[in-house]
Amino acid sequence: MNDIAAPTIEYGQLAPMLLVFGAAVLGVLVEAFAPRYLRRSIHIPLTLAALVGSFALVLVQVFVSGVPTSPAAMGAVAVDGPTLFLWGVIAALAFVSVLLINDEDNFVAQAAAVPGSADEEDAEIAGFSQTEVYPLVLFAVGGMLLFTASNDLLIMFVALEVMSLPLYLLCGLARRRRLLSQEAAVKYFLLGAFSSAFFLFGMAMVYGFAGSVGLSDINAALPNVGGQEPLLVLGTALLGVGLLFKIGAAPFQAWKPDVYQGAPTPITALMASGTLVAAFGALLRVFWVALGNFDWDWRPVMWGVAILTMVAGAILAITQTDIKRMLAYSSIAHAGFLLTGVIATGAAEQNRDALSGILFYLLVYGITTVGAFAIVTMVRDAGGEAGHLSRWAGLGKRSPMLAGVFAFFLLAFAGIPLTSGFFGKYAVFSAAVAGGVLPLVLVGVVSSAIAAFFYVRVIVLMFFSDPAADGPTVVGPSVGTASVVAVAAAATVVLGVFPEPMLDLADKAASALFVR
Amino acid sequence: MGETITFWVLAVVSVSAALGLVFSRKAVYSALMLGAVMLSLAVLYAVQDAPFLAAVQIIVYTGAVMMLFLFVLMLVGVDSSDSLVETIRGQRLWAMIAGLGFAVLVALAVGNLVVAPPTGLAGATQGAGGNVPAIAELIFTRHVFAFEVASALLITAALAAMVLAHRERSRPKPTQKVLARARFLSDHPSPLPGPGTYARNNAVDMPALLPDGSISELSVNRVIARHEAEEGGLPEDPKLAEAIRQAVEEESK
Repeated sequence: MNDIAAPTIEYGQLAPMLLVFGAAVLGVLVEAFAPRYLRRSIHIPLTLAALVGSFALVLVQVFVSGVPTSPAAMGAVAVDGPTLFLWGVIAALAFVSVLLINDEDNFVAQAAAVPGSADEEDAEIAGFSQTEVYPLVLFAVGGMLLFTASNDLLIMFVALEVMSLPLYLLCGLARRRRLLSQEAAVKYFLLGAFSSAFFLFGMAMVYGFAGSVGLSDINAALPNVGGQEPLLVLGTALLGVGLLFKIGAAPFQAWKPDVYQGAPTPITALMASGTLVAAFGALLRVFWVALGNFDWDWRPVMWGVAILTMVAGAILAITQTDIKRMLAYSSIAHAGFLLTGVIATGAAEQNRDALSGILFYLLVYGITTVGAFAIVTMVRDAGGEAGHLSRWAGLGKRSPMLAGVFAFFLLAFAGIPLTSGFFGKYAVFSAAVAGGVLPLVLVGVVSSAIAAFFYVRVIVLMFFSDPAADGPTVVGPSVGTASVVAVAAAATVVLGVFPEPMLDLADKAASALFVR
Repeated sequence: MGETITFWVLAVVSVSAALGLVFSRKAVYSALMLGAVMLSLAVLYAVQDAPFLAAVQIIVYTGAVMMLFLFVLMLVGVDSSDSLVETIRGQRLWAMIAGLGFAVLVALAVGNLVVAPPTGLAGATQGAGGNVPAIAELIFTRHVFAFEVASALLITAALAAMVLAHRERSRPKPTQKVLARARFLSDHPSPLPGPGTYARNNAVDMPALLPDGSISELSVNRVIARHEAEEGGLPEDPKLAEAIRQAVEEESK
């Protein structure tokens, strides 16, 4: 019998993530013990404080204790420059999303009541609310934090599930158009379960090749293991399917429009920003750290995926008539733009540039997306949000302020200069050109132009067509929604006019690349 | 040699059980087929030097998870079957074409490569001090954090199940007194008439005759009436059959 040395876990390094998980568990206890009328008023400060605390702990780690140079928790979690940057981004995006979640009653009064039944009406009259939403959001955020930081495939899989499972449920909790919302949840759950199974199967194959699930061990095994290439090729393909599904890259993009449309809009905002950031963190780790020296084999496939994603996202967006579906397709196109950065690997200097471009892009895209969805929650019809684009006609004449801010966000998505989106695209595309993937950048620029067409179409619709007589009402924003819109607009302006400090920060975060 | 024989026998068993799982129309058959697949896998694990995994497979999956499946199926109702109508035309064809295309791609990718003979687990487990100690060491050192985080997953699952299934009362539960009062205020304070008893039939699906010879529709159990009208099996007497049909119509109103 051999003795087992006790494992060491660097709690200090993991503190931003552990804080979020701890607050989530506390939230569950609040659900169990606090009386109904108190729950909301406990949950909101608890959730917001946990996210602020997590952000603060990231800052402490960066500026006081310094960026760690070796993996934590027995090599399972890598807290390095990119991780800390993305942790900060995710905590900030989750914070604004929670402001949106807490703000209006976007959530169903009682999820177990059948849609349209007398029970549902009773629950609404009695003023029930599913306050479980808050701990669930915190669990999802904790999963996102872990997903970007995972340094082996096993923990990455657990993080994937921790991140996705609460989101599957939250998608089905919309207060209005509940059947659509439940359909979205089931679709997301089934397809997500399939993609997780692909990831797991790929993990088993790669383990069969390398004899380890650690990313650095897989990298070390690449030149040393002979005769097992089928396992590696299959494993890489299957891992890729799992990860590309999460970022919504074509041909695995089919879930995105349906789920974004059906889910409660604040949850859509969280998914479109936080999940995308986390999934790109994990994708970079798998393909750069573990399979970085296997790039001759995955690069051609990734080329195809990136081109398909950009083109499909941009072209299908044109045909959409629903504002949330349009934003979903736009998110697919943006995932494609980001993929060009993932492909642009080379020497260490080149990798640094590409990584810093991707980090900056994720930040600016995430914050603008949350702002755009915040505005979508404010334009209401009798039956809830006015989703159909025709309802948005003439909105600029009725409430010029709101339509103006929305138009500004759309211009940022399109990448017009003086918005943050321009510098995001510039950073990623210039790194991609330097990395020798010029054709991809050309496709990216062309599909950006196509995308700009439908963004501009919405702007024209809002400002230059006559408002409908029974058009939607713009609800006066509450403090939460107003501050989300204000923060998002401010970030889009500041990062568009004066991006230097943030670009420097992203450069610094990327300077040491990923720890191995 | 023994391993090869076991593999080929179990390969046939598990693949045919897996096909049966997919193609069976009845949910319980599918569940039992899944059990067969899991048991075959357990034996395969045992043969391949992984006794711990084999035991866990049987205890956790076949023992606990499978039984849970069966319980759920029986609670939901064994009878319920999914509608197999295609909502998107031609999707099966295109799915098949895409699947075949993917299979060809994989075959081309794998066919070009060379596979070295496997070495087996025996050497590895010997070096680490046996199967179970080696797994224990990995679980409690290298992968300890993954297992700790899995607790978040379990909490989420429990909470999610609560959210989806737990319904709180928004109005007080009716007491015996309230129920009795409601019954006496309704048209039928007394119990409904029982089923009919005839010379040739005395089952619960037969409507009863009232003292004046007319047929009482109230005596027909609504669930049975609907079943008989849909599945066939109405009584031969046209008057009785008519009564059952009317009961179904009233039910559907």
